[in-house]
Amino acid sequence: MVQPATARRSTTAVRRRHLGEHQIAALVLVTPALLIIVGLRIVPLVLGAQYSLTGDGDRNGLFVGLANYRTLLDDPVFRTAVRNVGLLFLALPVAVAVPGLLATFLFLKVPGHRFYRSVYFFPVVLSPVIIGAIFNILLSFDGPLNQLLGKAGLAPVDWLGNSHVAILSVIGVHIWATFGMALVIFMAGFSTLDQSLLDAARCDGATLPQTVWHVVIPELSRTIQFVFVTTMIGMLTGMFGLVYVMTAGGPGGATYLPEFYIWVTQGQMNSPALASAASMVLFVLMLLVGLAQIRLIKRATKEV
Amino acid sequence: MRERGFGRWVVAIPMCLLALATIYPMVFTLNVAMKSRREYVLDRFSLADHLTAANIADAWNSSGLGRYTFNSVVVTAGSVALLLLLGSMAGYAFSQLTFRGRKWLFLVCLGALMIPFQVIMVPFFRVLGQIHLLDTHVGLILAYTGQFLPFTIFLMTSFYSRIPAEIVEAARVDGSTTLGVYRRIMLPLGRPALLSVGILNALFCWNDVLISLLVMQSEQHRTLMVGVTALRGQYSDNIPLFAGGVLVAALPVIAIYLFFQRQITDGVTAGSTKG
Repeated sequence: MVQPATARRSTTAVRRRHLGEHQIAALVLVTPALLIIVGLRIVPLVLGAQYSLTGDGDRNGLFVGLANYRTLLDDPVFRTAVRNVGLLFLALPVAVAVPGLLATFLFLKVPGHRFYRSVYFFPVVLSPVIIGAIFNILLSFDGPLNQLLGKAGLAPVDWLGNSHVAILSVIGVHIWATFGMALVIFMAGFSTLDQSLLDAARCDGATLPQTVWHVVIPELSRTIQFVFVTTMIGMLTGMFGLVYVMTAGGPGGATYLPEFYIWVTQGQMNSPALASAASMVLFVLMLLVGLAQIRLIKRATKEV
Repeated sequence: MRERGFGRWVVAIPMCLLALATIYPMVFTLNVAMKSRREYVLDRFSLADHLTAANIADAWNSSGLGRYTFNSVVVTAGSVALLLLLGSMAGYAFSQLTFRGRKWLFLVCLGALMIPFQVIMVPFFRVLGQIHLLDTHVGLILAYTGQFLPFTIFLMTSFYSRIPAEIVEAARVDGSTTLGVYRRIMLPLGRPALLSVGILNALFCWNDVLISLLVMQSEQHRTLMVGVTALRGQYSDNIPLFAGGVLVAALPVIAIYLFFQRQITDGVTAGSTKG
């Protein structure tokens, strides 16, 4: 993507004259951004790791080793949050397969594919708060969805009030709201697909499923990998607004996710050190998910 | 490859249904916002008797949404301006200039992409408190700038690297300084990328609730999305009014989407396929 090789091709005379000015100018251009990134992201990350090893309340600032992490392990609310992350992993294949399939259909030029793309992508730009509020109306116990179920002769479901159902409702709404993102990424991947491979497959008499399996999926493996990683990261870090508005972590803590736990522990519970420990757990989780992303970033920086 | 005839329609039907499922919640909310409370209680689905913005206007007037909107506009505009300035400066340097440490500094910027706000929330809160910027517009602007700058630098770098070095060289031979090239060439040529990245960042800042909840503590400094979360308690017995308030908060984004759809999808896909 980034090809500064051409920049180096300049004539040596011009280069030499500008090298000193060049270096200074580059630092002037880069420094403000670096100050902000180091000061507001990297320093806090280091501080957070340090806080996670100190105590809360009257042990504020004292080194307590891994005590916070042990507290987390014993906290049933945190355990629920981690279990819910497990549910996110289970939902991940759905969250990737649905947009993948739709992108395939759109690639086959179903009539009106531009229209579909616009419609599917639309919820992506809405704030999770707005989406949460809308689904608060739709999923309330005396709300429209349960009325529909009633008309069909089915019993109402307490979508947001039943501790087993609520987390599934929130995850479902998140997938509903974000599949358009993955769809657009898939479509960008499809646009780089080598048309001649598809033509060859058709000449060989491959059926549609065969073509998808043997040509499309291998060719798009990088895109698929990218979508898996970004969708998972979106689930781990993008659901705060939904949880906050739809269930506020309830009923009985059933819809806690790590990010919500961190927020509540820092704010309401006033235990920043414990919240920092939870932050570190989330960060490690993200790093594990992000190993694939690190590979992608490496590829990007190699070209700089 | 093109699927013809029957096969086309087999997929067209589920696609149509899904499109309906995507758009219907919004249409439903719009319809509810036009109803009176009584109408809604009697029948959730019936079409509103008449087109009226009464609920939307009531929600606007009675809930302080005006104040919150003002805060959101100030903070979003400030953040986007700062992001575009710093992002394009750094993007130009990383893509077009050779200088010592470039690779490492770029790696620092990209590495920060992997630190989500949730992870640094607690220390960030303390740092902002220590420099007395909690509960201020400047504090929230800095928070958003820190949050979205790595992404902005990434996109601007990849855009600027497509500008041929010959243009830059020509300007330099004509006596332009490195910073002059930024002002006279990079900024004007970068306009489409700046628009795309700016709109994306504006959406991120406008839609955020977590960072805003943490930084803005007094009621008068709330941003619009935080204001919406408070509506729920305020109008728990009047769903149409609640729907009106939600729509007020959603309208600017809907308008931006209708106008700038292309730039938005270009922006998100640039971030994906360039990786």
